[in-house]
Amino acid sequence: MSKHDSTTDDSTTAGPTPETTGKTGAIDINDLTKIYDPEGEHVVAVQDMDLSVGAEEFVALLGPSGCGKSTVLECIAGYLDPTDGEVLVDGNRVSKPDPKRGVVFQENRLFPWKTIKENVEFGPRMHDSIEEGRAESILDEMGLDGFEEAYPSGLSGGMQQRAELARLLANDPDIMLMDEPFSALDALTKEIMQKKLLEVWERDNRTVLFITHDVEEAILLADRVVVMTARPGQVKDVIDVDIERPRDPEVVTTDRFTELRERALSVIREEAERALEQEDGA
Amino acid sequence: MSASTIDQIQRRFEGDTVPLPGKRVRQVLSIVLFFVLWAALVRFGILGFDKFVGPETTLVALVESLAGAPMTEGGETLYEHAAFSAYRVVVAVLIAMGIAIPLGLTIGTSRRWEDALFPALEVFRPVPPVAWVPIALLLMPTFRSGVIFVVFIGAFFPILVNTIEGVKTVEEEYVQAAASLGAESRDIFRHVIIPATLPSIITGVSLGVGLAWITVVAAEMIAGGVGIGYIIFQAYRLLQTEVVAVGMIAIGVLGYASAAAVHRTGHYLTRWEETE
Amino acid sequence: MDSRRRLVRVGSILSVPILWFVASRFGLLAGLPAPVEVVDTYVAELYRDDFWISTIRSTIRVLASFVIAAVIAIPLGLLIGRYTVFADLTFPALEMLRPIPPIAWIPFTILVLPAAELSIMFITFLGAFFPILLNTIQGARGVEVEYSRAAQSLGADSYQTFRHVIYPSALPAIHAGMIVGMGLAWVNLIAAEMVAGGTGLGFLTWSAYTSGSYPTIIVGIITIGILGAASSMLVRMIGHWQVDWATEQPA
Repeated sequence: MSKHDSTTDDSTTAGPTPETTGKTGAIDINDLTKIYDPEGEHVVAVQDMDLSVGAEEFVALLGPSGCGKSTVLECIAGYLDPTDGEVLVDGNRVSKPDPKRGVVFQENRLFPWKTIKENVEFGPRMHDSIEEGRAESILDEMGLDGFEEAYPSGLSGGMQQRAELARLLANDPDIMLMDEPFSALDALTKEIMQKKLLEVWERDNRTVLFITHDVEEAILLADRVVVMTARPGQVKDVIDVDIERPRDPEVVTTDRFTELRERALSVIREEAERALEQEDGA
Repeated sequence: MSASTIDQIQRRFEGDTVPLPGKRVRQVLSIVLFFVLWAALVRFGILGFDKFVGPETTLVALVESLAGAPMTEGGETLYEHAAFSAYRVVVAVLIAMGIAIPLGLTIGTSRRWEDALFPALEVFRPVPPVAWVPIALLLMPTFRSGVIFVVFIGAFFPILVNTIEGVKTVEEEYVQAAASLGAESRDIFRHVIIPATLPSIITGVSLGVGLAWITVVAAEMIAGGVGIGYIIFQAYRLLQTEVVAVGMIAIGVLGYASAAAVHRTGHYLTRWEETE
Repeated sequence: MDSRRRLVRVGSILSVPILWFVASRFGLLAGLPAPVEVVDTYVAELYRDDFWISTIRSTIRVLASFVIAAVIAIPLGLLIGRYTVFADLTFPALEMLRPIPPIAWIPFTILVLPAAELSIMFITFLGAFFPILLNTIQGARGVEVEYSRAAQSLGADSYQTFRHVIYPSALPAIHAGMIVGMGLAWVNLIAAEMVAGGTGLGFLTWSAYTSGSYPTIIVGIITIGILGAASSMLVRMIGHWQVDWATEQPA
């Protein structure tokens, strides 16, 4: 049922390739299963999951903790090999990390031994395409001018997260995979970061897969909110967010937003309870 | 004395109910008390201290040695002996770094190399470097290369073990992040593995330098020749106790200076680390 | 896969005697006693009282010196780590002595202490003392203020805080210091025995060299290696048993 929903919801995303759409960055997850088996401890993190994300679409993946959201993302990033099924990006099977698929995590992964500028220029440097002044202009856009020569340890959490976003943008990926990137930030910084991300996305046409456990954040940012089940992870429900763009954090007060939030919350609540029962049973 | 008593005393100190000398003064006091204790032990002949020299005689001997007076009967000055010991330590540590760091990076990154090399190396690790002195004297072509070989063994294992440990604790997340930014395995090695391992390597080098000094002194005492270890022991045989004391001071200063140099260099190389 | 890895590792260890055999067979390392000679000598040594007395002497010296070092260094380190006044009064003098390698003290101890035995033990003690002291200080300073505050809020007095918060929090660091200390105890013991003479495995090894019975040198080295490995394993075991609440880092 859910499988049906997610694939037919948006007819343009059924097995798209750059040839058919002219856009890049479409993700197709087919029958994805990931089983962790460390020392006989059999954990099914994700089971038979199907999901399509259209090129240049913004999709939020929402679900209770431990539902395998991050596993899905790591399979798309190419860090993990699926136990079964496959992940296609623009029709090609994912087998290893690629600069076309950029990743941002909750804990920043800036290289602590490189300055902010060296971090931002890392991707371009890897394929010999450093442009003079580009790092500076991206950092400037992220409000980090003057911090080019600083080391990450000298920056606040919010600034580190902006620097990491800058590093990602400098690499010009088709797809941005974001794993709870703002959940460790305080409310105010989080709002600034959300605005920044929307701005960048609305301008640059990239696909975004955004993992979060924050319902409001998911609705505020995404075109579609995909709610996942408790472990083993599957798609439980897909909610279309028909709030017009450009959005800003003010939309949270509208009636339509409240409606969508209630709908998402009721699904989530059900799953959260099921997850708790699972834990009790274990 | 129980901790609570000390705590009470300290609280009284901190509560300013007892006049308290400043921090600097207390630290100087610590050093002064040490010398007073030394002088008193010698003066009153406690244990066998009357057979050793007091601080005043040592100071005179130290000044003479620093002025270039020859040590013991050999005729070399303190500087020459110090230079010999320091030269051995520097050469041995550099060779140890040149071998242990690449070897550690290889063993740490490749399971195959680890399985092939590490168990064989582990066989040698529990043997204290000093125990190699007789073998080194047997095998090495010259006496001097024998001493350097032993000092090399002293420095080698701490550097190797810390390098391996460092590589193994590089967080996988950095490797993943680099791969997602388009880094090939060569780039990852150069831009992630090596810088992330650097703090451990520096720890290993500073431990290695410490062991190198212990080993060089022991080897020079046992095997003789030149060097500070040699003059300390030679002076003991000739009962020139003030020269023994000067030798101990010299080795302490050299050990301290080399530790400080490693620390400074390490601090500069890892200046990106969070400072507390 | 796993059994293959184990095989490679066993092969790696076996390569040491094999290479040794090959090297001595073809005279690659002139002067190095051949494995067969060493095995013969080892067996012969096992029947000699002198060998056993040396082994037991060295073991007792290391263990006794190590225990004394720990008993003094741990409380001292905790006090220095927690009480600045105490630290200011003691630490500068200790820091002044620390860079002097323990073995450099041996002429001094032979002169000052009444028995050669005490000299060797003092040198061994010094080897273990400073690593344990420094790590204990670091461990005591690293205790998070929140823990002591929590304990005080729960009604602990300062002794109880010390006993139940500071000491256990510092244990992992103390344990790390003890592992290094045990290694340095052996280094300095062997050096002291070689220099001061008399008995012990260090003396046995060195006198084998001076008397030209070269296979005995290797017998000495192997025995020292086995005892060194065994004693560091002992310290690790004590550590595991003491610090079982701290999650071990994967090797």
